[in-house]
Parts: sequence; C-alpha cells; structure tokens
Amino acid sequence: MIPGTFFKRALRDLKQNLFTHLMTTGVVAFSCLLFVIFGLFSFNLQQFVEKFGRELAVVVYLKKDVSQEKIPSLYKRINALDGVESVEFISSEDAYRELQAFLKDEKEILEGVDPLFLPPSFQVEINRAVFNIDKVKKIAEIMSQWPEVAKVQYGQEWVDRLEAISQVTRNIVIIAGVLLLLTATFVVSNTIKLTVYARQEEIEIMRLVGATNGFIQGPFLIEAFFQGFIGASFAILVSWLLYRYLAESVSATPLLKDMDLHFLPMEYVGGVLAVSTLFCVLGTYIALRRFLKS
Amino acid sequence: MISIEQPIIQMQGVEKVYGGYSPALKGVDLEISKGEFVFLTGPSGSGKSTLLKLLFCAERPTGGSIVVDDMDLSTLSGSQIPYLRRKVGVIFQDFKLLPNYTVFDNVALSLEVLGLTRKQVEKRVTAIIESVGLLEKINRLAVQLSGGEQQRVAIARAVVNRPPIILADEPTGNLDRARTTEVVELMNELNARGTTIIFATHDETLFTNTHRRVLTLREGILERDQKG
Repeated sequence: MIPGTFFKRALRDLKQNLFTHLMTTGVVAFSCLLFVIFGLFSFNLQQFVEKFGRELAVVVYLKKDVSQEKIPSLYKRINALDGVESVEFISSEDAYRELQAFLKDEKEILEGVDPLFLPPSFQVEINRAVFNIDKVKKIAEIMSQWPEVAKVQYGQEWVDRLEAISQVTRNIVIIAGVLLLLTATFVVSNTIKLTVYARQEEIEIMRLVGATNGFIQGPFLIEAFFQGFIGASFAILVSWLLYRYLAESVSATPLLKDMDLHFLPMEYVGGVLAVSTLFCVLGTYIALRRFLKS
Repeated sequence: MISIEQPIIQMQGVEKVYGGYSPALKGVDLEISKGEFVFLTGPSGSGKSTLLKLLFCAERPTGGSIVVDDMDLSTLSGSQIPYLRRKVGVIFQDFKLLPNYTVFDNVALSLEVLGLTRKQVEKRVTAIIESVGLLEKINRLAVQLSGGEQQRVAIARAVVNRPPIILADEPTGNLDRARTTEVVELMNELNARGTTIIFATHDETLFTNTHRRVLTLREGILERDQKG
C-alpha cells in the first residue's frame, strides 16, 4: 500500500465523515484553547512577577566615617559580585540634592539641616537576565557583612511577598495545568473512541474484504494527525487574536500601559502543536487496536 | 481446465459452541470440490450462518479442522486472516455496503486492499459493475439504490477480486421473486466461470428441481448431503 493511496482514502473519508471530523477537531481545538489561554495567563503572571522583581534595586548605605579613598575599591568589590549589573555611587551631597528635588515646594523644611546628614550609598542593579530573588538576598547578605556598610536595603518585604506570590503562582500553574491536561485527555480520548465506534461498520466491511490492519489504520491515523494539528493551530490562532486584543486594550489604558503582555514562547506553541497531534494519533491508534483485536 | 474433483474446502469433525449454549455445529464432516455450486439449507438456527462464518474466520471452531484452499484455519494467525478473506468473497442478506460510498467505491474497496493501482481498479470495477447491470448507477451512493441493486453491488464487491470461493448467506432473503432470480442467475454465471459457490438459503424453491448439491443442516448436524 503506497502512502499516496492512504492520503487519497483519508481525504475521501474526511469528506464523507465531515461532521464527525469537524466535531472531533472542534473538541481538540476547545481543549487546546483552554490549555493555551491558561498558559497565556500564567506565563504573563510570571513575567509580571519577574519584571516587578527586576525593578527592585539594592541600596547599600555606608557608615559616615568611611573615607573617600575607600569608595573606588568598594565600588569594584560590589561590581565584582556575581549577578550585579551596575553600581552607582551616591554621595551625601547627591542624596541631599535628590531629597530636595523630591520635596519640591516643601524643601524649606530642610533649612538649617547639614547637607551631609544623609549617609553616602551605592545603588546596585541586579542583572535582569540572571534575576532571581534568592540571588538578591544573597548579594545583600554578603554586602551587609562588610565593615564599611551600615545597612543594606532591598525591599525585604516586597521580595518576600514576591517570593510567596511567585511560589503560589508556580503551584497553581502546575496543579491547574495537570488538571486541565487530564480533562483535555479524557475529553479528546473519548471523542476519538466515539469517532472510531461511529465507523465500526466501515471497519468491519474493510476487514471482510481482506483489508489488513495497516490498511485500515493508515487513513485513520492521517485523519487523526490533521485533527490534532488543525485543532491545536486553531486554538493557538484564537488565543493569539485574544492576546492582540488584550495587548491593545492594556496599552490604551493609562493605568496599565506599563504592563507588557507577552504571547506564549515558540517552544510552548510548538509543544502544544506536537502534543495535540501526537495525542490524537496515539489515541486513534489505541482505540483502533482495541477494536481490531476484538 | 478446472477439475471438480479437487477439494477446495474440507471440514472434519467441526464443532462450534457459543459459550454456555448448546452447540451451533456438531461434528460436521464436509468436502466441497473446486467449481462446485452447493446449496446449504435448513431451518433458522440450524447452523448455516455459523458454518459460513467459520469458513472466512469470522468465528473460530471449538473443535475439528477446516482447510480452505490449502489454508489450515486451525493454525491461521490473526494477521493471515485478511489473506484468507481475499480468497473468499462473502455476500450477506443485509448487503453490508457502506451507505455513503458510491457504487464504484464500495466495489473498489476489495481491490484497494490488494494494493492495485487506480487505473487497474477503475478498469476492473467498471467491468464488473457493467456485468451486474449497474453501469449507469456507478456514481450513485449505495443508500440511493433499491434492495436488488444493493445486492448486485454486494455481489460485484465479492467477486471483483476474482476469489475462488463465494459464500452467500441468504443473499435473496430481502429480495422479491424477480430480484431473487437475477441474483441466482448471477451466481450461476460465476459458477460457470469456475468459482466455487456455497449458497445458504431456507428458500427451497431455489434448489428444488436443480441438479445442484444440497446440504441440509438441522440443529447443528449435517443431516443430509444430497449430491446433484
């Protein structure tokens, strides 16, 4: 049996059982859509959490008695720490000026205050590519042990909250993802079984005229391949349109315009296509095998 | 030249029991020669259909041995069954056609499983459909045909791959007298070309006053073997 004949028969079967195929493809598409939209939501939530974390800066306050000569060597030490992106030195005078600028019209309240009353500090930015909350904590811990350092501030509370949110998000993603995958598996496999059973008579007749199992299975597997692939593609297309709509809506809303929405990475999209196609082909193969054995 | 002495079907001590029930077939010994036309008769439930089913491995015997065209069915594996079925054309009372397939596609199925090219399939299918008088309806769906026409399509499907044996299980059961005569005539033509035919029927008028061999089953026992 040449593959061309399989394709021709698969095409004929698709035409003749159009409704059944559309129904199965629809179920596959719907299951994939739920999964993709869920993925889109959780991916963006994680991106948001990470972005928020990346924007946290670490401020290293130095003791007032630290001499000016030690600043360059401290600068070098901080810069040499693993995960540090950039370091900026803010002298007591700079800090005073920033405070004045911040207070704007209220800066009179600083009258009579010594411009050197604020401690000098380093503003440390963490490398975004390697950002991770544990790394921020570790860097802060190392610097706080240096004798020249009075205090290290990095929004401990925020970091802890972020860590908790990140953990909860990760757990929700895993649990909901597994539940969704199980539901989709159950629905799709039952639909495939029903599709095969609906064509029981056809299979029986093919066996009657001397068709081998391979001859019977071939077109079914080709059809299943298309059902899985088209169903998943449709789901991805719909979710992409939804993403575009949401991204535009978000950018048009002043309050949310800094919130970047991301579509799923290509690996995830490829994974959904591959898993959906493989699942439909395998599900059909198993349903047919059981049937052909009977 | 076909010798009618050479056995194409041999059954020895064949038993068939469907779990827990009384045997459907009991110790059937039978030999059918190549090119023979045999009527198989008996009342409903006598075992006619069971006997035919055993010959194309739709059922397996619970005892005895069966050899069909040199294939020993007692040792035949599941993967070899399709090759047996290509030697045995089967016709049913309910036609067993695919209702949404055209006449052409229903008949072509028997050749497609053999891996023939589209050109070969077209040539042979068109010729056989013409011989059963349905050429003008070749592109109609099976569901759009009358009972007699559907049975002719089923016959065409059974014989298009030129099997040496045809098993017909009450093929005229759903047809009126005129259509029944047509089917019997088609069977006679096939037999004249050397095909061995086993024709199961409870309609005695089909074999009374013919020179054909008649096998009578009663309660699973081969009660009578009346040579033609």
